[in-house]
Amino acid sequence: MSGILVIGEVVGGSVTSQSLEAVAAARKLASDRGETLSGALFGADLAAAVAQFDASFSALLVLDSPQLGSYLAEPYVAAAELAIKRLNPSVVLLPHGSRTRDWVPQLAARLGAGLVLDCVGVGIKADGVAVTKPMHGGAVLGELFVRGSPAIVTLRGGAFEPALAGGGGNVEHLDMPPMPGAGRIQHLETVATETGTGPRLKDAKVIVSGGRGTGGSENWRFIEEAAAAIGAAVGCSRAIVDMGWLKWNHQVGLSGTIVAPDLYLAVGISGAVQHLAGISNAKTVVAINNDPDAEIFRRADYGVVGDFLEVLPAFTERAKELRK
Amino acid sequence: MHCFGALAHRKYTVYDGLPKSGHYPNRASKETQEMNIVVTIKQVEDPITPPSHMVLDPSGKQVRSASGAPLVINGYDLNALEEALHLKEKHGGKVTAIGLGDVSGRKVFKRAIAMGADSAVLLADPQWEALDSFGIASVLAAGIRKLGNADLVLCGRQSSDSDGGQVLYWLAHMLDLPVVSPVIKIEESDASALVVHRLMDEEYQRLKVQLPALMGISSETNEPRLPTPKGTIAATRAMIPCWNASSLGLETSDSKVTLEKLEIQIRTSSAEFIRRDSGAESGKALADKMHELGLL
Repeated sequence: MSGILVIGEVVGGSVTSQSLEAVAAARKLASDRGETLSGALFGADLAAAVAQFDASFSALLVLDSPQLGSYLAEPYVAAAELAIKRLNPSVVLLPHGSRTRDWVPQLAARLGAGLVLDCVGVGIKADGVAVTKPMHGGAVLGELFVRGSPAIVTLRGGAFEPALAGGGGNVEHLDMPPMPGAGRIQHLETVATETGTGPRLKDAKVIVSGGRGTGGSENWRFIEEAAAAIGAAVGCSRAIVDMGWLKWNHQVGLSGTIVAPDLYLAVGISGAVQHLAGISNAKTVVAINNDPDAEIFRRADYGVVGDFLEVLPAFTERAKELRK
Repeated sequence: MHCFGALAHRKYTVYDGLPKSGHYPNRASKETQEMNIVVTIKQVEDPITPPSHMVLDPSGKQVRSASGAPLVINGYDLNALEEALHLKEKHGGKVTAIGLGDVSGRKVFKRAIAMGADSAVLLADPQWEALDSFGIASVLAAGIRKLGNADLVLCGRQSSDSDGGQVLYWLAHMLDLPVVSPVIKIEESDASALVVHRLMDEEYQRLKVQLPALMGISSETNEPRLPTPKGTIAATRAMIPCWNASSLGLETSDSKVTLEKLEIQIRTSSAEFIRRDSGAESGKALADKMHELGLL
């Protein structure tokens, strides 16, 4: 068994930038180990995505099938198992996301392969790979060793610089293999969650986010007004979702959305590690909190200690003037 | 890690926790909608512990609370237990909590009974101290097989300590169950199938899943109940059997992933504070600063 295989992810017909980050990590690993680099893409209607995926693969396996349209794990597991049997790689890298976190562990279990999910570093080691992974909600960094072949690793977004995308070469199309265990789960429908009129949290450049310290749902309008004034998406801590003020798709953090804005304004958020893990890629973090010892101030670049009901409306008014 | 302390000399140690004949209804002949639900429980350090209050144990591979705070049930496992209790109220049946731990785990498991679980089983053996996801799932699978006839296995979507996110998938594979995670709602349930909502990025999927099945439950499903007075009395009296490798007929297997090292991420940087005479003045100054940095 030899060679590095990177399996890209396709969303809305395009290869995700996180997939290109995985390519960059895979290319480095292939070069360090002196092994070949191969790619694979699974999905429905992949023509555009294949052209976007990296050209420097020794082989690019493509399984383009309507069965890979509405997401269910079984066809992805079957496709990946086929690709791995074909290439016999020593290491398989994938971007970590809402699909891969579901089907990749099922693949590992079928193959009996070692797997670590959601890693921020991957390197060579004899008879396996060494990985680093945030644990305890990001409070602890773990170093783990994945033994055997193939070793499978998913990579957290933002941890690597994406590789340049290029036209696909050496493309080989695969046919959908039989799917073990299929049919026990039936996809009824996919329901989009309302995201309001503001930008999507995941891609937002500016986010205004509120936590328990905002005090009550009647105060929430100040968060929304601030967000509207500076063109920001509205986020929140888990406490806000647990109290039913906002739906889960607004939650920032390890169990919500991992965000990477240029500006993250945290209002009344204490800074639980799970929340901080969700903003580790934010460029500038600003916190408003009445507790000077709040953990959020250890992460924040700028802070105001005070009652947000005084601070935030004044911030919003001034921001409106400045943006005129 | 072993659980043969003082209790070993009491007469009930012959009780191995196996349900008596007929205790669990047989799925094949079941006429009612009763559900036998197994909930997996992990004991974790309290996730509210900030990094500044964490220490590593002498092995350097285990995080402990500096103040010696007791272990708690993993948060998502509480959501799984709440969902199980809710289904039991609807359909009848039985809820059994099962999980690995050391002898102090009995206390944690008693909380599951105090919340309303019918019974709990502790899986403990010194050789299980450094298991990977595959190893933990192997132990849980053996325990669940020994319990027998589970219609539904509910797990937390992941644990708050290792953030591994794998055990439930290995377990589903070993038990040959269909698996859905993270589940944010169980919309419908009957004796043969569930309709559940699975969280994706900006959307959720409605899925129909044949039973028996395994679900990874997320915090959006419910607010876990507090122990009831009746449950607390039951918990005080409850015997929590302890199964080890030999009682499960398990042999050690090589791990696929090993933990080499942990490092607590202490944040040393602190914010530049903006202080003016009033909150409103500070808010205005903050906007000016953000504007100066080109962030507005």
